[in-house]
Amino acid sequence: MTATIGGTSTALVEEVGTPAPAGGPPTSTRRILTTITRDKGALACVLFLAIVVLMAVAAPLITKLSGWGPYQFDSAAINSDLGGVPHGALGGISGKHWFGVEPQNGRDIFARIVYGARVSITISLSATLLTGVLGVVLGMLAGFYRGWVDQVISRLMDFLMAFPALIFMIAILSSLPAGNRPVLLVVVISAFGWPYLARVIRGQTMTLANREFVEAARASGAKDVQVVFREILPNLRGSIIVMTTLAIPGYIGTEAGLSFLGVGVSPPTASWGQMISSSVSWYSVDPMFFAIPGAFLFLTVLSLTVLGDKIRSVVDQGAAA
Amino acid sequence: MLVGLVLSGTLALSACSGNATGAADSSAGPGGKAAQGGTLQVLANAGFSHLDPARGFDGGVNNVYRLIYRTLTTQGAAPGAEGTKIVPDLATDTGQQSDGGKTWTFTLKDGLFFETGAPITSADVKWGVSRAWDPELGIGSPYAKQIIDAPATYQGPYKSGDLSTIQTPDAKTIVFHLKKPYADFGSVVAQNTFVPVPKGQGAGNQLDSKPIASGPYKLAEYKPGASLKLVRNDKWDKKTDSVRAANPDGFQWTFGLDPATIDERMIAGQGTDSDAIAGTVQAASIARIQTPQLKQRTMSGLSGCTTYMGLNTTKKPLNNLKVRQAIEYAVNKQTVRDAVGGSTLADIATSIQPPTVAGREDYDPYPSADHKGDIEKARALLTEAGYGGGFTLTLDSRTQPKMQAMSVAIQQALEPLKITVKINPIDTSTYYEVIGTPSQQKDAAITGWCPDWPSGATFLPPLFDGRLITPKGNSNLAQLNDPGVNAKIDEIAKLTDVNAANKAYGDLDKQIMALAPVVPLLYEKGLMLVGSNIAGAYLHDGFSGGIDLVSVGLADAGK
Amino acid sequence: MMRYVIGRLGGVVVILLAVCLFTYLIFFKLSPDPAVMICGKTCTPERIDSIRDVLGLNQPILTQFWEFLQGIFVGREYGTVHCPAPCLGYSFQTNESVWAMITARLPVSVTVAVGAAVLWLLAGVIGGLISAIKQGTWWDRTAMALALGGVSVPNYVLALVLQYVLVVKLQVLPFPSAPAFADNPVLWFEAYIMPWTVLAVGYACLYARLTRSNVIDTLSENYFRTARAKGLSRPLILRRHALRPALTPITTIFGMDFAGLLGGALITETVFGLNGIGKMAADSIAKNDQPVIMAVTLLAAFFVVIGNVVVDLVYIALDPRVRVTQ
Repeated sequence: MTATIGGTSTALVEEVGTPAPAGGPPTSTRRILTTITRDKGALACVLFLAIVVLMAVAAPLITKLSGWGPYQFDSAAINSDLGGVPHGALGGISGKHWFGVEPQNGRDIFARIVYGARVSITISLSATLLTGVLGVVLGMLAGFYRGWVDQVISRLMDFLMAFPALIFMIAILSSLPAGNRPVLLVVVISAFGWPYLARVIRGQTMTLANREFVEAARASGAKDVQVVFREILPNLRGSIIVMTTLAIPGYIGTEAGLSFLGVGVSPPTASWGQMISSSVSWYSVDPMFFAIPGAFLFLTVLSLTVLGDKIRSVVDQGAAA
Repeated sequence: MLVGLVLSGTLALSACSGNATGAADSSAGPGGKAAQGGTLQVLANAGFSHLDPARGFDGGVNNVYRLIYRTLTTQGAAPGAEGTKIVPDLATDTGQQSDGGKTWTFTLKDGLFFETGAPITSADVKWGVSRAWDPELGIGSPYAKQIIDAPATYQGPYKSGDLSTIQTPDAKTIVFHLKKPYADFGSVVAQNTFVPVPKGQGAGNQLDSKPIASGPYKLAEYKPGASLKLVRNDKWDKKTDSVRAANPDGFQWTFGLDPATIDERMIAGQGTDSDAIAGTVQAASIARIQTPQLKQRTMSGLSGCTTYMGLNTTKKPLNNLKVRQAIEYAVNKQTVRDAVGGSTLADIATSIQPPTVAGREDYDPYPSADHKGDIEKARALLTEAGYGGGFTLTLDSRTQPKMQAMSVAIQQALEPLKITVKINPIDTSTYYEVIGTPSQQKDAAITGWCPDWPSGATFLPPLFDGRLITPKGNSNLAQLNDPGVNAKIDEIAKLTDVNAANKAYGDLDKQIMALAPVVPLLYEKGLMLVGSNIAGAYLHDGFSGGIDLVSVGLADAGK
Repeated sequence: MMRYVIGRLGGVVVILLAVCLFTYLIFFKLSPDPAVMICGKTCTPERIDSIRDVLGLNQPILTQFWEFLQGIFVGREYGTVHCPAPCLGYSFQTNESVWAMITARLPVSVTVAVGAAVLWLLAGVIGGLISAIKQGTWWDRTAMALALGGVSVPNYVLALVLQYVLVVKLQVLPFPSAPAFADNPVLWFEAYIMPWTVLAVGYACLYARLTRSNVIDTLSENYFRTARAKGLSRPLILRRHALRPALTPITTIFGMDFAGLLGGALITETVFGLNGIGKMAADSIAKNDQPVIMAVTLLAAFFVVIGNVVVDLVYIALDPRVRVTQ
């Protein structure tokens, strides 16, 4: 099932299933890096992503420079008699507030974007990591051992993929107490995300397990574990890199979507999705409140998708060679 | 007027969320004379909880019931105090009392019929009232059960048969025997429970899906959560009804609309939207309705409710008076007001009772400049109490954007005092249940209170009488049990002069606030936009739901 | 072949049962007491007890689950009320039969899904095909860049932007409502065109890229070169040899995507105020209306699982290579 929350269908991930695993030496990371640095589009993406990551990592430092924390109210910046609309044009953009302020509480949007980057990056990277580990390990086990191991794991994957993930995520998240929201989000998102990776890895492992070099390794006395990790895993590297790179924007979109629906991070934590959600009723009087987080979300997802796409074409070319 | 009204703690919390009424300032525009005919449109977000009058009891449905149902008496139909006066409806007068006020007799008018054509008799009124004792049906207004005498085991007409304490000597007379003398029973019979139901009918969910109308309109079509259509009840005789103008030929509700969309449509006013009314606008729309044309069809007024934060005095360190007083000083009410939409959607509350309650005095026990909070004073009090290093406070909050915004504002305001406010989000569906259960309550909770009558008697005792604290459904969130306050409540209940009683409640307000059990935050206001073709509209003080439906109509019914 | 189909259908039943049980248990554990919620604000302990009795909440969890299953197939009793099959319970909020709620709202979701599907298939496949044929040209590069953009926009952002521009600013379209086609075809179209577009954009871009890469792959395969060498004309080759194998993976994905949408496009319906299954899901989750949440989850899972089976069968029908290996 395709969970089209952030607009990035997970079928995107399935699409990558088509390139065959490398028969010869795996695509070198160096090739990937050279191709990217030569391509202007890819460079632009990397630059933007670097900025976002920098925001996420150095958030406290940056907000010290800009002068406002993400939770501080600035009542003077909004007009209480007109419902709390920000003073000044463009949603209150000024020297004091570089991206303007939020209506009704006057919180600095720049600070909240920076901290929102933190939330997006942390959650999506953690989810990608968790999904990656689960998907690769379980996929390889299923593809390598076949038999009942495969049966059990495949049924589990079918079961999880049959669930309407979005509904379930919302229902689970809204019924659980606030607790440790980010951790919860990562767990829930990963629980529904790993089967897609696992399925592809399983398919490719099955094909690889029949290749001669694996037989040869077996014949020379290598144990199963060694075969799996030394022979098969390196050949999956291309697919894994591509799929994880393409999963990140998907998870950013998912977290934003869940926060948009109100079941993501709890207030007053800043999240781009939650900011978009609050901005909906204000878009006629204060469109900047909608445009800024919307633009950041869009550009981040776009950069990651373009980058992932480029990496995929490199891997494909490597495979075809 | 409301002597002896200390009821046992189960006055329901009416929905108190800025969906206004208010006498104060309705503008002239939509107030003109309404024409007969046409269909009035209503755009709404939430649907109706119940159409069965024994079950429904909130500002939203009380207003609608007057279109399809009649009661023995009802409120007037006018803005201000005229509107909350009790006048006869099905009965010929507001009741004849005897036996020292323990027995009340009402006589029905002539020419009253249900929509089916069957005459409305006293037996039907009795049948309707008896339903209040049915445990599944009588979940609405609690007054009938609390005031009228009945056997302890009586469970309503479907389960226990006839109720002997309500007598119907003939088809036009009905006699009520009460538990204790009750001077203002004439007001009680205006409650929804006193709607007549044809004898033998109304079991189960029958009336929730198909009401049997006694009023000027009947149900034509109902899709719960989607739409509701009312058309004229031709069996209703205007000559028997001095309250309802019943101008439109029909009403059409559309539910499930997004509040922002409703605002857009009301501002644009295209097509049938010019014949529409709706609820309070969103904060975001306020800046857009400042043009003279839009201001002309804007109405505003106080809702008559108080939004406040209850402080649980049984939890440390809130059991310390100085700590509570520090919080009173520290809260920045400006930011809380901004969180609900600024000065047009709320006034800052300083006393427990809102300005609409008679006898209320305007005072501020914990003043600060511009109501922004006085952190220095708060810090001094906290240090005196020994909590200079701060502490953690868990604030129960509804998972609804406005409530959460208010909680965040309070969180921010208390932060400089090193008070860490942890927001505990509770689902709207279970919120009141949780905060009303002392064993589940946390340190503080934001809620509202709307009086069933604009009198201190329905405001202060339910919230602050220590003897009314119950293990479930508790309204005294602060769990205040102060002997001085309790004694004063009893004293005032014995007063026979209404004006003296109201003044006394005003003084009691001050006495209670000195103990700082709650932080009054806001008196919410309604700000409503009506369609350009609306006339006869005013805000009714009795329905925290807004425009009085029995009087409103279209200016030009031909469109 | 029959054995395969029966085996798959058996698998479907097992999975649906598992989904059902899992959902039931999760909500049982996580949700607040349903009796409390139905009871509402003016509650008494006796009333809560009687509600628990009627709903059978005092029984062990597996017994409750069994009764729930029974209800779906043969109907069940709730106290004195008989709930005919398929019984999915009664809404805690409105007391309506959940099945009635679903049948009332399913047409809206289906309309949304079908309309969007038509749009995205046409736009995506044709766009991708043209891109593949004109590989490397200006058209190809622009289209693919746009496709990347389209895939990156979160659909709620797009929905809000479209609504703002078309309804509020330019006033080209009226506010969302969902009239039946029979009543007012023009209004019907105006109401649905935005949700269709919003949903279709993401998928169309995806399918365009997919189609393009599949067609390019197929065009470079050996058998295609053979056909060219044999002298077949390009359009003929495209139609007979390139399209079919290129479309097979698309069919698979389409089946899954469409089945997923039938269960309700939650965000799109909510943003546009359409009274479909998705909006019902969002509302019921917000209000903790358990029977409705259960029913919607089951319905969505049902569509996905059946979709899976249908897709596999279609795949076998379309691709002879797969048939052989079966």
